[in-house]
Amino acid sequence: MSAAQLFLLGIGYLSLLFLAALAVERGWVPIRLVRHPAVYTLALGVYASAWAIYGSLELASQAGYGYLAYYLGPAGAFLLASVLLVPIQRLTRTYQLSSLADLFAFRFRSRWVGTLITLVSLLAVLPLLALQIQTLGDVTRVLTGTASPALMALAFSAVIALFAILFGARHTRLHARHDTLLAVIALESLIKLLALLALGAFALFAIFEGPASVQAWLAGPGAAIQAEVTRLDPGQWRTLLLLFFAAAFLMPHLFHMAFAETLSRRTLQQASWSLPLYLLLLALPVPLILWGAQRVGADSAALGAAYLAYGLSESPWIQGLVFIAGLAAASGTLILIALALSGMMLNHWVLVAHSPIHQPDLYHWLRWLRRALIAAVIFGGWLFYRIVGIHHDLMTLGIVAFVGMAQCLPGILAVLYWPGANRKGMLSGLVVGVAIWLLGMWLPLLTGMTPRILLPPGLELLANEPDWYVVTLVSLATNILTFILVSLLTRTSEGERAAAEACSVDAVIRPKRLPLDARNGAEFIQRLAPVLGEEVARREVERALEALRISPQEGRPYALRRLRDRLQANLSGLMGPSVAQDIVDSYLPYRRGAQEPTDDIHFVESRLEAYRSRLTGLARELDGLRRYHRRILTRLPVGLCAFGVDDELLMWNDALAELSGIDGASVVGSRRTDLPAPWGELLGRMFDERQDHLYKQEVRLDGGVRYLSLRRAELQADDAVRGGTVVLVEDHSEMKWLEEELVHAARLASIGQLAAGVAHEIGNPITGISSLAQNLRYDTDDPQLLETAEQIQQLTDRVSRIVSSLVGFAHGGRHVQGQAFATLALREVVEDALHLIHLARSGQDVTYRNLCPGGCHIEGDAQRLVQVFVNLLNNARDASPDGGEVLIEASREGNGVCVTVTDEGQGIDASIRDHLFEPFTTTKAPGEGTGLGLPLVYSIIAEHHGQIHIESPPPERERGTRILMWLPTNREDGKHPHEPDSDR
Amino acid sequence: MYLYRLMLFLVFGGYLLSPLLMSGWASPDSAWYRPFLIWGGLIALSLWLEQKRKLDEHG
Repeated sequence: MSAAQLFLLGIGYLSLLFLAALAVERGWVPIRLVRHPAVYTLALGVYASAWAIYGSLELASQAGYGYLAYYLGPAGAFLLASVLLVPIQRLTRTYQLSSLADLFAFRFRSRWVGTLITLVSLLAVLPLLALQIQTLGDVTRVLTGTASPALMALAFSAVIALFAILFGARHTRLHARHDTLLAVIALESLIKLLALLALGAFALFAIFEGPASVQAWLAGPGAAIQAEVTRLDPGQWRTLLLLFFAAAFLMPHLFHMAFAETLSRRTLQQASWSLPLYLLLLALPVPLILWGAQRVGADSAALGAAYLAYGLSESPWIQGLVFIAGLAAASGTLILIALALSGMMLNHWVLVAHSPIHQPDLYHWLRWLRRALIAAVIFGGWLFYRIVGIHHDLMTLGIVAFVGMAQCLPGILAVLYWPGANRKGMLSGLVVGVAIWLLGMWLPLLTGMTPRILLPPGLELLANEPDWYVVTLVSLATNILTFILVSLLTRTSEGERAAAEACSVDAVIRPKRLPLDARNGAEFIQRLAPVLGEEVARREVERALEALRISPQEGRPYALRRLRDRLQANLSGLMGPSVAQDIVDSYLPYRRGAQEPTDDIHFVESRLEAYRSRLTGLARELDGLRRYHRRILTRLPVGLCAFGVDDELLMWNDALAELSGIDGASVVGSRRTDLPAPWGELLGRMFDERQDHLYKQEVRLDGGVRYLSLRRAELQADDAVRGGTVVLVEDHSEMKWLEEELVHAARLASIGQLAAGVAHEIGNPITGISSLAQNLRYDTDDPQLLETAEQIQQLTDRVSRIVSSLVGFAHGGRHVQGQAFATLALREVVEDALHLIHLARSGQDVTYRNLCPGGCHIEGDAQRLVQVFVNLLNNARDASPDGGEVLIEASREGNGVCVTVTDEGQGIDASIRDHLFEPFTTTKAPGEGTGLGLPLVYSIIAEHHGQIHIESPPPERERGTRILMWLPTNREDGKHPHEPDSDR
Repeated sequence: MYLYRLMLFLVFGGYLLSPLLMSGWASPDSAWYRPFLIWGGLIALSLWLEQKRKLDEHG
């Protein structure tokens, strides 16, 4: 293959990437496909760098199945996705951390930690970058022989850098989903997988005759070659596995892909089996290609063990396939390493040294800075290849990189699982480990000097082992020991402890409740404007408000604290955690007063709810109890609210939410004084006047006037910071109304007694007048006087009847059951009631028509039944319009008589109709009805073994009300079949 | 959470025992594709555990 052909093939492939990126960007590829979980798995396949194509062949030729460590290490890491990767993803997403340096700087609360991690990452990754570029140069040498490999590699690197700048650095924010980039990296992973599978299939079926043939060759002619393979001893094998395990999430490009690309937790968990499957498919063809090349007698010395795949066949198709697989692997790795490292360098070197504060166009400035850094990283990789790489094989370069990155392994495990670790411990361990690595591997690689490895006493046995193995063991062991010892012996700062709790897998964050100076979103913008510029400050605050779904006018301290946290996280995604923390601490400070900060219980609870599925054993039981007790308080049928010692509302239960019409979620976290009217003022009265009890306070709520009683208790726990106040709010409105009704009824009763007394007093003179009229009749024969005496007697009889009715009615409530039962003519009972009704001057022109037939008789207490009709006719009169007519009808029905009282009023609302026989239910205006009439009617009818019900409106009419009563002719007839409903 | 512990046990157990497997793979009597079959079995187990975890979380 000529150099021009090779160049065209390479540029053609890279142009295909540009085209694919353009297709995704323009929406030519369906978004459903671009965001498919398989795309993410394939994008994670960026782990398989040029090492997977060439380095694995080299390692397989030297260590046999030892090459599998490169694939099994990350497979193990992803199998542990739920315990290792998901917690890191949660942290990076919550705090917008886009790199390992961000994570360490956040956890150990130091910008210097971030700076150091970036330096270690750069030093470690340079050999890996050089490895990628070196494979491009070496392939040029292998295929063309004469062309300048370094220049060709530079040309390919430049195109790759251009791609990374164009499609990877569009957003200033690192922590965002780059669909285009993800799709292109996934495409590259697919291409290298298909190419390798095709090469493996070629070896298996074109060079061998199937799997059995491979087995036969291994046992026969190939046995001699296989005998030269050096088996890794168990220690070396385990160390290699550990290095590749750590690389799977520590290498900057893999950290970026797994955590900075904002993908769902489910997708990451799905990768726990899908990525190992991808790696299996990638690893499977490697030995086949190696054995195939060995069988056809490829010249290992001329090609180099790494490039034996080019010896499979002279066909340009096969060689082109190997080249494309290698270029796909190298370009994907270069692009992502450049993106990830440029972000780290920007956040932890450039922005720390040169503050972005007061930049006129912050976003633009950050974007261009990042682009320059991307180009610098890739060019740095090429330089490293030119100066160092060409003197070393792929394995040496790769192992140096992996051992260097593994120095961060103790730190990241401590981030997740050891809250006691501190900055001094981590820094000491890292510095010691990195120093051993630099002296034992990196500097010898760069300068060619003899590795300086100081073996601790007792480990002299390792002196004969390979350098990489000894350096890995000694550096990691020293790193871990120093880390643990220094962390245990030194003090941990308060801020670090808080960050440790935030990062720890087992701990729930317990943030403190401190008030902020800024009082709402607008003030946040004002305060950030001097540092970020008006436009950027506004956009960042609006973004945070939108993410939290809170309004710009929101003033609750709880919500403002969340807003501050979110802003810090967002700024961290833009400029790294160190700069973000500085900005937020300086421009959005907490107000430090005399009061001790207290736990943010509401926030802790919301976190506990989110972590629930992760709790086990005792913690789960305790959480179950916590939820149970909380539910008791929430569902308590009495209003309840609780305040912290700083008067911040912690609880607003369901009953109170229903009473007040205010949803708990909208007020929890508010200051007491900021509660909506009338609650702020009402609770303030109780708190300010230090009263433990407010009785029947008149309050105007949406539903009208309510009477509320409040009780208060101090929460004095042993732990002073968990103190506060709990307030019970009881609605005593109904009791208040009942009291008023009782007073009204008592007043009516006293008036009734008075009337009865007056009637009794009138009775004596009336009897006297009647007797005198009688005497007059005996004493004279004068027809005129006789007629006058007759009239006087008739009138006094009428007065007597009225007075006796009145007395009877007044005594009606104290009836002894069954004492006065007699056979009664219903028509006369109704007439008596009408007499009484006429006495009351209502001013309404209502006509009463007694249509009861004369022959209708019932057994009953006349006084009590008169009372029934008086009540019913009174109600009918009150309901009737002027000129209305009230009909009283009766008919025989079975063993009794059905009596109806029908009016032409407005009728009764269906909602109240079912409650009319309950005491104090009335449709009349306040003060006009007692609500006791119909219950009395009901009880009298029940005493008579009768039945009563209401039709409103009656079936044949459009309006009005009809009361239907059924009364038995003989009391015994109604006793059993018509037993009244005892529930009434 | 118990499934996570099972995963941890599997991975670290596999890590410690892997040299034994390595020596088995390298013996001339064993089929060359045996490591890949074992690996495939582990992936199937992982897939099954992942499905079980999903059911646990939703149930």
